[in-house]
Amino acid sequence: MIFPQGEHERQQQIKFEAKHIASVSLDYFFEAPSMADSNLAYLSFLLLLLLPLSLFLFLYLILRPRPVRIPIKNRHVFITGGSSGIGLALAHQVASEGARVSILARSLDKLEEAKQAIQLATGIEAAVFAADVRDYDAISRAVEKAGPIDVLIVNQGVFVPQELERQELDEVRFMLDVNLMGTFNMIKAALPAMKLHRRDRGPASIALMSSQAGQVGIYGYTAYSASKFGLRGLAEALQQEVIADDIHVSLIFPPDTDTPGLVEENKRRPQLTSIIAASSGVMKADEVAKRALSGIKSGRFIIPCNFEGLLLSIATAGFSPQRSFLMAFVEVVAAGIIRFVTLCFQWNWYGSIEKWHAQIKRT
Amino acid sequence: MLWSLEYLFEAPSMADPNLAYLSFLLLVPLSILFFLYLIVRPRPVRIPIKNRHVFITGGSSGIGLALAHQAASEGARVSILARSLDKLEDAKQAIRLATGIDVAVFAADVRDYDAVTKAVEEAGPIDVLIVNQGVFVPQELERQGLDEVKFMVDVNLIGAFNMIKAALPAMKLNRSVRGPASIALMSSQAGQVGIYGYTAYSASKFGLRGLAEALQQEVIADDIHVSLIFPPDTDTPGLVEENKRRPQLTAIIAASSGAMKADEVAMKALSGIKSGSFIVPCNFDGLLLSIATAGLSPQRSFLMAFVEVVAIGIIRFVALCYQWNWYRSIEKWTRKNRFKFIELFL
Repeated sequence: MIFPQGEHERQQQIKFEAKHIASVSLDYFFEAPSMADSNLAYLSFLLLLLLPLSLFLFLYLILRPRPVRIPIKNRHVFITGGSSGIGLALAHQVASEGARVSILARSLDKLEEAKQAIQLATGIEAAVFAADVRDYDAISRAVEKAGPIDVLIVNQGVFVPQELERQELDEVRFMLDVNLMGTFNMIKAALPAMKLHRRDRGPASIALMSSQAGQVGIYGYTAYSASKFGLRGLAEALQQEVIADDIHVSLIFPPDTDTPGLVEENKRRPQLTSIIAASSGVMKADEVAKRALSGIKSGRFIIPCNFEGLLLSIATAGFSPQRSFLMAFVEVVAAGIIRFVTLCFQWNWYGSIEKWHAQIKRT
Repeated sequence: MLWSLEYLFEAPSMADPNLAYLSFLLLVPLSILFFLYLIVRPRPVRIPIKNRHVFITGGSSGIGLALAHQAASEGARVSILARSLDKLEDAKQAIRLATGIDVAVFAADVRDYDAVTKAVEEAGPIDVLIVNQGVFVPQELERQGLDEVKFMVDVNLIGAFNMIKAALPAMKLNRSVRGPASIALMSSQAGQVGIYGYTAYSASKFGLRGLAEALQQEVIADDIHVSLIFPPDTDTPGLVEENKRRPQLTAIIAASSGAMKADEVAMKALSGIKSGSFIVPCNFDGLLLSIATAGLSPQRSFLMAFVEVVAIGIIRFVALCYQWNWYRSIEKWTRKNRFKFIELFL
């Protein structure tokens, strides 16, 4: 609009127009993002919902080995180290669920006591076999007498905590022989009969009793952790070897458990071990047995027993197989945060070690 | 002028949400990095090789021999231990020809604690102990003889215990004068994931990790630093032997990670030992494996710790995909070969 006006009016007019254009443009710049913003917000909300859902779906389709249900009732459960502690608790619970139970241990006396206790509590008669897991021939015989096994729980274990520098090598060998070689012996003895007639007998389970010390090595546990970490290497490889025979491998990771074994261990435990191990609580043998059985029945590869154990299991998921797509989702999402948490634990533990040594030097 | 004021007033509020968003996005990782820098234990350390005593078991061939070559050429005083005196002498000559350095040789079996103790005493106080001996016979547990299982556990695991126990007392002495020491254990990618045919070998190598995690807590106060080295299949006389026995499925599954040369592995190993890293991977697949299996291992590098925290979730996802691939291979192979087996008997 050009009016026949003077120079001043024209400049005013131009300034007015420019301001108008500028303010309209600014308005546009201000409005348009918020319009695009709302699209963006909508899009990111959709993405936020779609991403986890697609992850869920993908995991559901992709997880191997597939989920499985392993029944206990009317099946043959064979438990080593079954005369006391967690093994005895497992025998009790399995018997009360209607399974045929066999327990193996070294001492015939303790086996007979265990047998009586189970009979009193559940009315069921457990078969007992006295043998040392380090003696392959003896356990072969026991396995033959017991008959084909459906659920093998390799639960025997010994533990003597001590600094490697102070520990006698025969104690180290003792732990490795019983906990690790003994497990090899047991599995090798039981495997042939376990593989037969699986289609008629249903899915089988080989469950290995590990420990939280088999997920993290701490002060005083060089030999014990070595033996329990070894069980994991064995289990990961074994699962790939026996999956085709419908046999499913589980690892159980209890914390310190209230058993005669723990009483013995505590007499020898270095002070620093107690300080560091206190990070995770103590459980009752019955609770551990309950968690263990529940995990075995769902064929879970890694079976934690308490909340700290769950965190440990997610932290150490590594390359273990995972059958539950929910658990797999949790692992993928939480592993990073939990790695962060474990680094904080290391800070705490190495701080304790530093402080303790400084204190010792002073006294 | 009003227009200019308007502009000054509008523009920052337009840029504000974007700027705030951006700075928040940067602030989170930066503060995590800073927090990790403060918190990682044990603290970083440098472990020199030059003019120090490096003791290598299984040092007459394969990775051990490559390690001896490289340590010698870096100016270390090298001792190698192995079973066969002949192979030791060959190795000694080869190193002399290549580097001009004379290495000390000790013939002993790591399963024999007394022999190992004598060797360690003769060799003198050790600064860098590389426990590298290892035997491997892959086979399905169902088919494998228990004596072979025992052989692997005895040499790879108990042998490591023997070696460390023998060397530790002298290693602890005079550390403040002699500087930081290292105990390095040669593991394997089979010590990070167990695969078909490797029940005994993986058991022995996983065991080394339990030993190492606990041992580091026990010896940190003596300025001794523990490292675990995780090579893939490595081109050595040992691998040639192993391949003769390897089940077909093992070969199929293990092919996921490539093979390396012994020199490359030795180079990565020494580099990791010198920075006191607890976990020392040797190739890219190994790096992924190490992040996946970071677990409760200590991490001295705050950068590596950051990578672990950020990437471990994604890598767990990748690991699950690997499992899908492996178990499918097992399914396919079993179907094919079981039918063949049945055909043979019909």
